[in-house]
Amino acid sequence: MKLWYSFLKELKLASKSFYFYIELFFAIIILVVVLYAIPENFNKRSTEYLYLDMPDTAKMSFEDRLLQEDLDKTAMETEIKVKKDLIKVMHYETEDRDIYLANSEEDLILLADSKKQLGAVITVDSETMPPTTSYKYYLQGYETDRLKNLYKVIHNSNMATLEAAVEDQEVRVLSTDYVTLSDREHTMPSLLTFNGSLMGMFIVAAYIFLDKEQGIIKAYAVTASTVWQYLMSKTLVITVTSIVTTAIITIPVMGGKPDYLLMLLFLICTGFFASGIGLLISGYFRTMTKAFNVIYLLMVAMMLPAIAYFIPGWEPFWIRLLPAYYIIQGFSELIVKGGNTGYVLLLSLGFLAAGTILFVWAAIKHKKSLTA
Amino acid sequence: MIKVKNLYHSYSRDDKYAVKDASFEIEKGEIFGFLGPSGAGKSTTQGVLTGLLQLQKGEVTVAGFDVKKISNKMFNDIGMSFEQSNVYNKMTAKENLAFYSKLFDVETRDPQELLEMVGLGDKANIKAGEFSKGMKHRLTFARSMINNPSIWFLDEPTTGLDPAIAATIKDIIWNEKKKEVTTFLTTHNMFIADELCDRVAFIVDGEIKLIDSPRNLKLQYGAKLVDIEYLKDNEIITESLSTIEEKDRGRIKEILDKYEVQTMHTKEATLEEIFIKVTGRGLV
Repeated sequence: MKLWYSFLKELKLASKSFYFYIELFFAIIILVVVLYAIPENFNKRSTEYLYLDMPDTAKMSFEDRLLQEDLDKTAMETEIKVKKDLIKVMHYETEDRDIYLANSEEDLILLADSKKQLGAVITVDSETMPPTTSYKYYLQGYETDRLKNLYKVIHNSNMATLEAAVEDQEVRVLSTDYVTLSDREHTMPSLLTFNGSLMGMFIVAAYIFLDKEQGIIKAYAVTASTVWQYLMSKTLVITVTSIVTTAIITIPVMGGKPDYLLMLLFLICTGFFASGIGLLISGYFRTMTKAFNVIYLLMVAMMLPAIAYFIPGWEPFWIRLLPAYYIIQGFSELIVKGGNTGYVLLLSLGFLAAGTILFVWAAIKHKKSLTA
Repeated sequence: MIKVKNLYHSYSRDDKYAVKDASFEIEKGEIFGFLGPSGAGKSTTQGVLTGLLQLQKGEVTVAGFDVKKISNKMFNDIGMSFEQSNVYNKMTAKENLAFYSKLFDVETRDPQELLEMVGLGDKANIKAGEFSKGMKHRLTFARSMINNPSIWFLDEPTTGLDPAIAATIKDIIWNEKKKEVTTFLTTHNMFIADELCDRVAFIVDGEIKLIDSPRNLKLQYGAKLVDIEYLKDNEIITESLSTIEEKDRGRIKEILDKYEVQTMHTKEATLEEIFIKVTGRGLV
């Protein structure tokens, strides 16, 4: 009962505290960003600016090919504003590209420069037999060596040979039993990890340092209540706020897709683990200021897996040693319809066990230094 | 109720002791004053006795509980009023007391009744954060009684209070003494100690210099003089005479027989004067 009353009191105080509203505010900010700043799927269309430096017959032939690819089979004459000038171009809209044909090389350079996009001059020399085609690219400087090399290969190899080589490659699909997430949904696991676990770790430590600062912890220490009840009441409040803020973010974005019961279990276990870290830190330091370096380092370390999550090519072995990696993996499984329930349950059990060790450790430490 | 034997405590865990070889016993229903200047070791001793500081060396029992292996049940028997107010600012006075009442396994007192006692009855539903320093101090004091403690630790209970409220607090302490509550009073206010304490201990630099009742100390260390004002030939004469020396005692008798005595006061040494005499140190 003492735990229950302590929890109710903490909940009441939390609802009047600055930190509680920071968490709510943060959750709402994340929601707004996810809904309005992150598109359902990122735009994968490319834009190209071309100038055709070739005889009219060749030019017409090239334009005909572009028209065939155009979605409505018509080219649209349009004007693009570059600084104070209006540059006339022909616009072709294909399935994955927007192609603008400029009327001169000068216009093309202006367009490529102002729009920070690829520009190319395609030249056909009809004086030679057979006529030769050459390409002059205006790159932006950020292109990789791979891309630059690709341009060189394309224009120095026989296209028919290249096409044949590609056609000859056997592509075998190993699994069709997967669900793809939209780009917006793809951002959720790392955001939920940050919102739930990392904020929880920071805020539980902040609550304890506040109690230390105000001397309230001393008053609590001379009651018949125990240290673990005191720490657990804080943990429960963090868990409740974590559930509320996760719901604020997840429900509007994911709707009914996730298994919410499993998510609740996972949130409780990971929240318990993250709170355990916060409680332990607050047991070793007297003030938030003195603990700040450690909290900051831990938060950075815990955020690294989120960076790796967005960079598929970067996942060093040591990233897998950080708990946040598995929290992100767990949320990934949770938000995918038909995700791996067994894996999430295993992770939950792991975080619960690790959280219990941290909690016991923190309780022993706080018992020794509760009022120091 | 409280037994302390050869208590030592060092914050740096070396031989720089904040409390050195302190030993004393406090009987049931006794008000025991622990007096000394700031940094003398008063709060450290109280911290060890209340379990707020770990017992490093020595033997301490409080209400029959060994402080070395502290049991949470001990806190059902003790109450602690801190010098620095430490209440939940975002909760009302009544909510503060009601919450703490849930943290004990024994029957607790009615929060409203306690608030009435310390003169905060009409402020029960006001948030503690809106209280003045003195009001918060009274709330902290009231909270220390919530579990009907049989051992009561009071750290500067009247500091910062106006004389009327301080008198109320003193009355409450007296009333609790009538109920045989044992009180460990930490203060540097010698007047409060003189008024309330059955015995006092003088502590300086972590060492207890003496323990005795204020009355005995005055008898032992006081000057034992009497100031007499009397009328002689329509003129007021003042004399200061010893109550011990034979010659002066005769003179006192003579004045009483021959003249009209206007005022006569025994001139006792104050506890503060005795403290300085014994320890060679002031109280600040």
